[in-house]
Amino acid sequence: MGERSDVWQGTLALMILRTLEVMGPLHGYGIARRIEQTSGNRLLINYGTLYPALLKLEQEGYVASEWGASENNRKAKYYRLTRAGRKQAQRETRDWERANTILARFLAPQERP
Amino acid sequence: MGAIRGWLSRWGELFRRGRSESEFSAELETHLQMHVEANLLRGLSPEEARRQALVALGGLEAAKELHRDQRRLPFLDSLPQDLRFALRMLRKNPGFTAVAVLTLALGIGANTAVFSIVYGVLLKPLPFPDSDRLVMISLQGRGVDRGPMGTADFLALAERQRAFTHVAAYTPSTLGFALTGFGVPQMIPGMAVTPEFFAVLDTPPALGRAPRPEEGRPGGELAAVVSDHFWRQFLGADPAAVGRKITLEERSYTVVGVLPPGFRYAQGGEVWPVLQLHPPTERPPYWLIPIGRLRPGVSLAQATGDASRIAAEVQREFPRSEDTLAVAAPMKEMWVGDERPALLLLFGAVGFVLLIAVVNVASLQLSRATARGREMAVRTALGAGRRRLVRQLLTESLLLAATGALLGVAVAYLCVRALALLSPSTLPRMNEIAVSLPVLAFTAGIALVSGVLFGLTPAFQSASPSIGESLKQGTRTSCSRESHRAHNALVAAEFTLALVVLAGAGLLIRTLAKMEAVSPGFNPGRLVTALVALPDARYSKAADVTSFFDRLLDRIQGWPGVESSAIAASLPPNLLQLTNPFHIEGRADRPGQPAPAVPEIPISDGYFRTLGVPLLRGREFSPADRAPGTHALIINENMAGRYFPGEDPIGKRVQTGEYNPKSDFYTIVGVAGNVKYEGLAAEDEPAMYVPFTDSGWCPWFVQSMYVVVRGGTTSAASEALRSSVSSIDRQLPLIRVRAMDELLYDSVADSRFRAGLFASFAGLALVLAATGIYGVVAYSVSQRTQEIAVRMALGAPRGSVFGLVLGLALRLAGAGVGVGVVAALALARLMRSLLFGVSPADPVAFMAAAVLLALVAATAGYVPARRAMNIHPTAALRGE
Repeated sequence: MGERSDVWQGTLALMILRTLEVMGPLHGYGIARRIEQTSGNRLLINYGTLYPALLKLEQEGYVASEWGASENNRKAKYYRLTRAGRKQAQRETRDWERANTILARFLAPQERP
Repeated sequence: MGAIRGWLSRWGELFRRGRSESEFSAELETHLQMHVEANLLRGLSPEEARRQALVALGGLEAAKELHRDQRRLPFLDSLPQDLRFALRMLRKNPGFTAVAVLTLALGIGANTAVFSIVYGVLLKPLPFPDSDRLVMISLQGRGVDRGPMGTADFLALAERQRAFTHVAAYTPSTLGFALTGFGVPQMIPGMAVTPEFFAVLDTPPALGRAPRPEEGRPGGELAAVVSDHFWRQFLGADPAAVGRKITLEERSYTVVGVLPPGFRYAQGGEVWPVLQLHPPTERPPYWLIPIGRLRPGVSLAQATGDASRIAAEVQREFPRSEDTLAVAAPMKEMWVGDERPALLLLFGAVGFVLLIAVVNVASLQLSRATARGREMAVRTALGAGRRRLVRQLLTESLLLAATGALLGVAVAYLCVRALALLSPSTLPRMNEIAVSLPVLAFTAGIALVSGVLFGLTPAFQSASPSIGESLKQGTRTSCSRESHRAHNALVAAEFTLALVVLAGAGLLIRTLAKMEAVSPGFNPGRLVTALVALPDARYSKAADVTSFFDRLLDRIQGWPGVESSAIAASLPPNLLQLTNPFHIEGRADRPGQPAPAVPEIPISDGYFRTLGVPLLRGREFSPADRAPGTHALIINENMAGRYFPGEDPIGKRVQTGEYNPKSDFYTIVGVAGNVKYEGLAAEDEPAMYVPFTDSGWCPWFVQSMYVVVRGGTTSAASEALRSSVSSIDRQLPLIRVRAMDELLYDSVADSRFRAGLFASFAGLALVLAATGIYGVVAYSVSQRTQEIAVRMALGAPRGSVFGLVLGLALRLAGAGVGVGVVAALALARLMRSLLFGVSPADPVAFMAAAVLLALVAATAGYVPARRAMNIHPTAALRGE
C-alpha cells in the first residue's frame, strides 16, 4: 500500500493546481483520485486534508468553484483553475524544479576533496 | 498577494453565518457517495464500502473541523471562551489583578497625558487649511538670527514677491487695545494686521468680509476684524454688526468682518485692527512680523531666495542699513520648535516609567507562572497546541492591559486638566492639548504593546516544560533557578530605569535651584510694577508725555509708605523691549561686521535708586540732563568692562541706533551694575540707559512705560499706583500690576514646570520600583520558607536570615543602580540644553538618586526580612 505521509502536505497545493491544469474542472473526489493515479498509486491522500487545501487555494484566488452536475447527475462542487492560479502553478513548478536540481547534486555520490 | 486575499477571505467568513458549514456538509456527502459507489463497484459490501470511505476521509468530524479551521480564523472562534476564562482567573486573584491594573493605569495614564501634550503642541497641524504651506519670514542680521521686518522691507516684499500667494504682517501686541464706549475701558487682546492677513491663513470671516487693500493705506477708512466671542460679547451677536464702529485706542474703527468661532492665531485675540503703513523714510524700526502662504510647488528654499533678493534690493535703497538676507521658515516650527527638546525629553522619561510598570506586572506574572504551570501542563496533555496556550495567556494579559488603559485614560484626563492650570503660559498651543482621538489611538497602541510584553514573559520562561514534570510537582516546591534569575533580572532592570528618571529629575531640580539663586542685579523685595500705556491720540507730543510721567511720579512719591518710584521702558528680569546697535566715538567700525544690538532703556531719574542697582561710577540722571541739546547716557558694568577696559568711560561719547555719522552723540555720565533683562539664565551683556525725556526717544518710544514703586505692602503700593494714575487721567487703564517677586517667580516658570513634571515621574518610578522589589523579595521568602527553616534548625542565628533577605534586596538594587548610573550618564547629555549651572554628570544629583533608591530597596526589603526572621523552623518544616 502507499503511505499517508505529512511530508506531502506541503506539495498538495501544487499537485492540485497541476491536476486542474491538465484535467480541467474537477470535483474534489475526482481531484483526489487523479492525484493518486498520477503518483502511480504510491500516494494515498488523506481526503480530509484535501478539502482544506482546496479551500485555501480558493481563498487565495488561484482556484474558483461552482456547483454543477457530476457524471451520475449528482450535485457536486467543481473546482477550476483561474488565470492567477495558472501563473502560480507555473511559478511553483519552476521553484520545485530548481530546488530539485540543487538537491540532486547532494544526493549524487559526492567527490571527496 | 494571494496570501492577503486569503486573509481577507477568512475575515469575511465572519459575516457569512454558517452557510458555508452546510455547503461543505453537502460537498462531503457527495464525496462520500462517490467513494462508496466506487467501493461498491470493487465488490465491497455496503457497510464496508461506507466504512472504508469514512476511514479514507479521516473521519467526518475531523474533516469538517479541518475545513472549518481553514475557513475561519480560529483565534476569533476561541476568543469568547478565552475571555470568559481570563475573567474568571482575574477574579480569582483579586490582589494580583488590582495591583496589576493599578500599576498599568499609572503607567499608561502618565504616558497618555504626556502624549496629549506632545501631540497637541508638536505633532498636530496648525488649525488652518493647508497649514504646512504657511511660513514666517524674518530678516537676518544685526546679531539676531531671525528678526522682524520694518515697514520698508515689508512693503517691498508685498509688492515684489513671487513665491507666495499672499503675504501679510502683524505686530504682536502684548497689551491689547484699549476699548472704550462699552462701559469701563478695557484692554482687548489682539494684533494689528495688514489687510491680507486672513487671506494668508485662508480663513475668510464668517460675517462680512476680509479687509480691503485700501484700508491698509494711509487715508483709507480705519477697519477692524473681530472674533466671534467679541461679536457676541460687545455687538450683541447682531447679524447686522458689520459696519458698526468701535473705538480702539481712542480711534474709531469700522467692523468689516466677524471671524468664525474657534479661530485662533498664536496666543489668541479678539480684535484685529488693520494697520495703515506709511511709506518709510528709514529702514528701521523693525516691528512687523511677516507671514506668507507658499504658492503651490514653491519650496521653502525658493521662498527664502525670493525674500532675500528683495531684502538685498531694500538694502541698496537704504545703504546705511545692513541686512541683506531673509529667511522663510515653516510657521509651526517657529511656534513650537523651541519646545521640542524639553517635550521629547519628558516623553522619553515617562516612557521609562511605563517600562517600569510593565516590568512590574511581568514580574507579578512570573510569580503566578509557577502556580499555573500545572494548569498549562494539563492543557497540553489535553491537546492544546503551543499557539493555543499563548493565545490564552495573551487574552488574559490584553484584558488586564485594556482595563489598565481605560483607568489610565481617566487618570490622563484629570492630569491634562491639571496641566492646563499649572503649565506656564509660555507653552505654545496650550489650547490644543486634549485627550483626543489620536491620543486615544496612542493609548490603545501602548496598551497593546504592554499587554503583549508582559503577557509573553511567562511564555518565554517556560521554554519547554516537560508535561510529566509539571504534573508531578506539588505546588509547594521552590521554583526553578531560572525563575529566580528572571525575577531578579526584572527587578534590577526596574531600578536601572528608575535611576535614570531620578537622575534626570535631580538635574532639573538643581537647575531650577541654580536659576533661582542667580542675582538679578537689583533688590527685588517690596517692589511693585505696572504698565502704563498712553494712547497716541492724546499723547502725541513730547511735552504731554513728559508732563504726565512727571506728575505721576510726583503723585506716587507723595503717597504714604512709598520710598521711591521710577519708570522704565524695559523691566527685569525678562521684559526687554528694545535693543539698539551703538558706535563709540573715535573707534572705527569693523567693515562688514554689524554692530551688536544691546538693550537700550529710557528711564526716569530715580530708576537705579528705586530698583536698588548699585551705581559704580559717575552719577544718575538729573533734571539738568533735560536741557535741550544734552544727551546723557549711563552704561552698565559689562559694557564698561568690554569696551572701556582699564579706562574711565565717563565723558566718552557714543552714537546709538543704525550708524549715521550725523546722529546725536550721547555722553556717558555714569556706570551702573549689571541687571538681567533677558531672563535669569542669560549671560551678562552690555546695556545702555537714556533719560526718557531725551529728544531722540520722547515721545515715540516712551508712550508705554513700566512703573516701579518701592515701599510698603504690595496692596498699598498698588493702591498708590492706581489712584495716582487715575487722578491724572481717568481714562487710562493700569495694566499688569504685579509684585517684582511675582515677575521673578514667573520668569523661571518653564524650568519649574519641567522640574515638577520630571519629579512627579520620578516619584511614580520610585513607587513602582518599591512595589516591584517588595514583591520579588516577599515572593522569594515565601518560596524559600523551607530552606530558611532548615538553616535555622541547623543553628543559623535569626540575624543572619534577616541579613540574607535584606542583602538580596540591596544587591538587586545595587546592580540596577550601577547599570543605571552608566545609562543615565550617557543619556543626561541629551538634557544639556535644559540645564543651567549644572553639568550633565552632576555628582550631587546622581548620588541623591542612588541613595534614595538604596533607601527604598532597604525599606521594601525590611518587611519580608522580618517575616523571614520570624519563621518557626519546626512549624515550617512540619507544614508541608
